[in-house]
Amino acid sequence: MSNESEKLLIVNNLATTFSTAGGPLPAVSGVSFEMLRNETIGIVGESGSGKTVLSRTIMGLQPRTNVVVTGSVLLNGNEMVGASEDFKRGLWGTEVAMVFQDPMTSLNPVMRIGKQIDESLRVRLGMSKVDAKARAIELLELVGIPSPAHRYSAYPGQLSGGMRQRVVIAIALACSPKLLMADEPTTGLDVTIQAQILNLLDELKERLHMSVVLVTHDLGVVATRTSRIIVMYAGRIVEIGDTRDVFHHHRMPYTRALLESSPKVSNASHTRLTTIPGRPPNLLKLSDGCSFAPRCSYATDRCHNERPELQPADEPAHSFACWNPLPTTRGASA
Amino acid sequence: MLRYVTRRILMLIGIIFIISIGSFYLIHLLPGNITVVIEGPGASPANQAKLFKLLGLNKPIYVQYFVWIKNVLSGNLGTSFISQTSVVSTIRAAFPIDLEIMVLSQVLAFAAAIPLAMRSARKPDGPLDRVLSAGSFTLLSVPPFVIIVLMVLYFAIKLAIPNIGPSSYVSFSQDWITNLESLSLPAITLAIGSFVLYFRVLRSDLIATLQEEFITMARSKGISQRRIMWRHAFRPSSVALLGAAGINIGGLLAGGFVVQYLLSIPGLGYTLISAINQSDYLLVQGIVLVVAVGVVLINFTFDFIINLVDPRISRE
Repeated sequence: MSNESEKLLIVNNLATTFSTAGGPLPAVSGVSFEMLRNETIGIVGESGSGKTVLSRTIMGLQPRTNVVVTGSVLLNGNEMVGASEDFKRGLWGTEVAMVFQDPMTSLNPVMRIGKQIDESLRVRLGMSKVDAKARAIELLELVGIPSPAHRYSAYPGQLSGGMRQRVVIAIALACSPKLLMADEPTTGLDVTIQAQILNLLDELKERLHMSVVLVTHDLGVVATRTSRIIVMYAGRIVEIGDTRDVFHHHRMPYTRALLESSPKVSNASHTRLTTIPGRPPNLLKLSDGCSFAPRCSYATDRCHNERPELQPADEPAHSFACWNPLPTTRGASA
Repeated sequence: MLRYVTRRILMLIGIIFIISIGSFYLIHLLPGNITVVIEGPGASPANQAKLFKLLGLNKPIYVQYFVWIKNVLSGNLGTSFISQTSVVSTIRAAFPIDLEIMVLSQVLAFAAAIPLAMRSARKPDGPLDRVLSAGSFTLLSVPPFVIIVLMVLYFAIKLAIPNIGPSSYVSFSQDWITNLESLSLPAITLAIGSFVLYFRVLRSDLIATLQEEFITMARSKGISQRRIMWRHAFRPSSVALLGAAGINIGGLLAGGFVVQYLLSIPGLGYTLISAINQSDYLLVQGIVLVVAVGVVLINFTFDFIINLVDPRISRE
């Protein structure tokens, strides 16, 4: 189908386990997927489903102590699992960069934003002070910050949340990464600003020929911007497929529950929003069965005792992990 | 920023005014009659009354204050009744010694505390951190006058290293090498207390800062750990350190007195203690005023530095 050089990212059986006082905590388990160049992939799931840990592990940015990572992450041919900090440092910024979730905490409060941008340029690309400043101002302009030359010397505290997130994006883009990990890039922002930031990411992705991993809990965000979606629950992939298929032909009850719990414009006013009963499981006390079973209305004994593996659906590249999948909506015609 | 500085300066003037009243009034609180001190115990009551009037002590106290403050502002702190020398010239001779000890001790303390706190904070509860934390805690519980005595006993007497023991002080202009040798033990003694304070404050703030998201962000840029520590973690972690340093250095001016006295180093501390013993009230008053104003100015300076380091403070 696609030859190896078109694959930017190959994740195979990735697991991230934190050692905690309560025992080993499997934040991510058995995750495998591939990503092509110039693709945008969405990772969705509730809080605590392992999205953020997964995106950081792919980058090799997990904490340096009390964590065990197994499996494999091939990023543009570079194995990230087990790589030394020095090796990964050589890839960060240039091969892969991250847009962090909360622009209120991800910028250094006592460093002028311009300095935070041109630091990468000077350290990683070896630019001169003057060149780096000029490039940093260009980057500020690129991410839509008005009067960038003036803002260059502002402190983060002098900017609004939306402006700060633009700065975070500018920092991530500074060394032209091939892969951009956007970890809930709009969660901390107003709804109107959210759309602006997401459109900006889309536009930059096209202009700079990047691939983007868009991590979010908001399905509305990924619907129109991604080609494929990974649905995560309790640290595992429970459904993966083309965006269209996940939205319209999902088989995993959790995916449906997630979709139903998003508000829709087409709903009549005062429609009660569907919620998913219960809470995500405690990762320290996972059962042998499907992690979603306790909250699932279709669950049977088998669901509680035996974990379903990903199995192919009718559509190509679409899989789900469920013993009692929803009937295929392709119906008899498929 | 300008508004902040103006406000602070106005506050500073107010504080110094209050200090001046305090140190002026100090003389009046002292027991005994100043005329007896000056004329000796055998003076006749008539002579005493005459002197009392001559010194202006019969005037209302606020008038006395204004006469005094006018003199102080024009650089005149009076002439000692005991030594017949001007208080200002005595202080001017002694103060550089205090300054030198202070600068030496602070350079030593910061030079040791900052890199060690950084290494400790990188691996909290690691072997180095445990050793340093336990060691600094032990040092914290030993007061400076014990440290100085032990050091004199060991280095100056047992090892017989020349020029570092008591009464070996030589001025800097006379022989700077001997001068540095003679001040080395007091500087090290005061540095130890400062080191413990700075190390502990900076270490705990660094550990907290290193948990921050912007440190992970800095790491994701692919910059070195060293650069993350110095450029990203150090500055936001140094606010408490600077606050502690401001208070500590002020305290050192006073804390160094005992050490100076034990080694007969003729700084302000030694001079003050001798002045108290000789009931040289004007000299006591002058030194108290100078030290108090010095402490306030040091604190003001550190507040100002904190502002430069963390721009969020003056904005709030």
